[in-house]
Amino acid sequence: MGKMRPIKVLVAKPGLDGHDRGAKVVAMGLRDEGMEVIYTGLRQTPEKIVQAALQEDVDVIGLSCLSGAHNRLFPEIVRQLRENGKEDTLVIAGGHIPDKDISFLQDHGVRAVFGHGIPVKSIAEFIRQNVAAD
Amino acid sequence: MSDTEKIKEKRKLWQEKVMDPALKRFKLDKSPTEFYTPAEIEGFDFLSKVGFPGAYPYTAGVYPTLPYAVVATKGSLPSARGLVRAARYSGYGTPEDTRDYYKMMQVRGLRGGPNLAMDLPTQCGYDSDNSVARGEVGKVGVCVDTLRDFEVIYESYTGDLDLDKIASNFTINAPANIIIAFYAALGEKRGIPLEKLRTTPQNDILKEFVARGTYIFPPRPSMRMFRDSLVFIAKYMPNVNITSIGGYHIREAGATRNQDLAFSMAIGSAYLEEGVRAGLDIDSFAPRFTFNAFGGSMELFKEVAFQRAARRMWARIMKERFGARDPRSMLIRQPLGAHIGCSSTTAQRPLNNLTRAVMGAIASALSGSPPMAFPPYDEPLGLGWSLEASQLAEDAGRILQYEARLTEVIDPLAGSYYIEFLTDQIEEEAWKELTKIEDMGGAVAAIESGYMQREVSRSAYERQRRIEKGEELLVGVNCFTDESELEVVTSRVVPHPYDEEKREQAEELQIASLTRLKRSRDNRYVGELLRGLKAAAEKEDENLIPRFIECAKAYVTEQEMCDVLREVFGEYHETAMF
Repeated sequence: MGKMRPIKVLVAKPGLDGHDRGAKVVAMGLRDEGMEVIYTGLRQTPEKIVQAALQEDVDVIGLSCLSGAHNRLFPEIVRQLRENGKEDTLVIAGGHIPDKDISFLQDHGVRAVFGHGIPVKSIAEFIRQNVAAD
Repeated sequence: MSDTEKIKEKRKLWQEKVMDPALKRFKLDKSPTEFYTPAEIEGFDFLSKVGFPGAYPYTAGVYPTLPYAVVATKGSLPSARGLVRAARYSGYGTPEDTRDYYKMMQVRGLRGGPNLAMDLPTQCGYDSDNSVARGEVGKVGVCVDTLRDFEVIYESYTGDLDLDKIASNFTINAPANIIIAFYAALGEKRGIPLEKLRTTPQNDILKEFVARGTYIFPPRPSMRMFRDSLVFIAKYMPNVNITSIGGYHIREAGATRNQDLAFSMAIGSAYLEEGVRAGLDIDSFAPRFTFNAFGGSMELFKEVAFQRAARRMWARIMKERFGARDPRSMLIRQPLGAHIGCSSTTAQRPLNNLTRAVMGAIASALSGSPPMAFPPYDEPLGLGWSLEASQLAEDAGRILQYEARLTEVIDPLAGSYYIEFLTDQIEEEAWKELTKIEDMGGAVAAIESGYMQREVSRSAYERQRRIEKGEELLVGVNCFTDESELEVVTSRVVPHPYDEEKREQAEELQIASLTRLKRSRDNRYVGELLRGLKAAAEKEDENLIPRFIECAKAYVTEQEMCDVLREVFGEYHETAMF
């Protein structure tokens, strides 16, 4: 048995939203928490995000959206992941997500939504506790 | 012994005889407070450092008086301010939805033109029927694909609210010239000539690469587009502002105060250079440069000093570097002054955001701008603000102006040892950073190399670390959160003027109307115009705006025009982060 490989996280910006401060801060924070992080940059379609997740064989996908497109794009990403046999991937989200949308997203495969003011440490803890065991 | 030396000596004695015993008594290693004296601003010369409001170097304010500062009127209530201020940023759904929104707001008393929010596909040069637009159509603003959409929106602005009687604000950057063309074409259809149109397009593409992300083309072709807008507006549209430069967005993306000021000055300088390079006299276009805002923070005194430093710095750049002679070329004209950024608000105990916004409004009033308590307290709770939150924000500004009378004295903190010290310090540091950027080749080079972007995300991350370590405190977020604290709940009962259902249906409806429109227009002519546009785009010196206007009149879509430009200019690809 070898050494545990670090948790691999894809931080992605689906849709056209250009506010990337949060996504970048989370990406850098999770990296400092010892995870391997890939940040996709802006303007990612669901297809591109899933493709990157498959290619990089990530454990976690963190989706960030502040434009109100989350209810449309996040479930689409989860759907495509499942189509590709990746139902184990932990999908979490953040951005500008009103409370009233959280249960809808959870019903569609987003395990947790990390809103304003949540420290990166909490996100890292959640990931460690919930990432699928190898 | 000079006065300064006397004061310094006294300070030493005071430290020994008064402060140190107090620190001992309070068991403190060092004092958590500071105190400023004239010694901290040795050599301060009022006339050269501050001067009078409305006169170089404009430290105290850009205007000698503020028409809106009227506090008490005999017998009648205060009426609309003298200076035109943009209405609330608004727009959603389909053009029909936005037209109906404005009609409704006009019934409720809205005067003046729209401050139009457009959706992300529009801002990024995509039509509503493009697959990348899915989920985004009509969300953060109204969808605008063709001239037809402007025609529909502006059905709410006719008669004595026609285009020659109102001013429109367009938050549009990469495709700004196309939106200007839509407006020009609309005016033409209504018999209103270019010179009568009044609008401010945001048209600040460089900050998009650094902070906001609605870019299309790479920086250099984007600057060619900027040049086109500058020259066309300077020549044909005397009532149009060329740009609304936003340090605000850069600050909101995480920049420090210093980066905000230096990057804004660098970006403004780069835009001015375009006009100079095009052979125009600086005073023929610089008066039409405006600033959106610089954003702010909760640190009241530093934000007051920042505004003063910004005015002085821009005035110096205009006079010394660009040789401006017209005083109007040297002014920082902005609709909002200091105010806290939306990033200073918290989702936890959101009513506290009103308190926070009031800090920003006070900073604004003390530094020469109207006291606007922005943003409304429910900013972090979702897209758009409730009418209740907007009412409270409006009332807060009124209370500061009419009850606290904060606008009666211009630059009341002038001469404060602390404020003058801060103003000097902020300006000095910004000059250092600006010089660094100019040595790199200016703002465009600093963006192409990724320097500005890296600096901003580094600052954002450093701040997050400070917050998570408890070195920076946010009430209700990382402190004062135990069970003894109440989570005060707010109620927002008045229905929002935006119809949620309509917003959800907008994408489908707009795709249908766009499909109908494409079938009904002269597509052969459209093809011809697009070929002509491509050939023109390939010529660096040709101004594309007249072509955009012709395309607009033929109902060419925004994306069709942008796709031609994408072919010629290429598309911007973000610099990698790690």
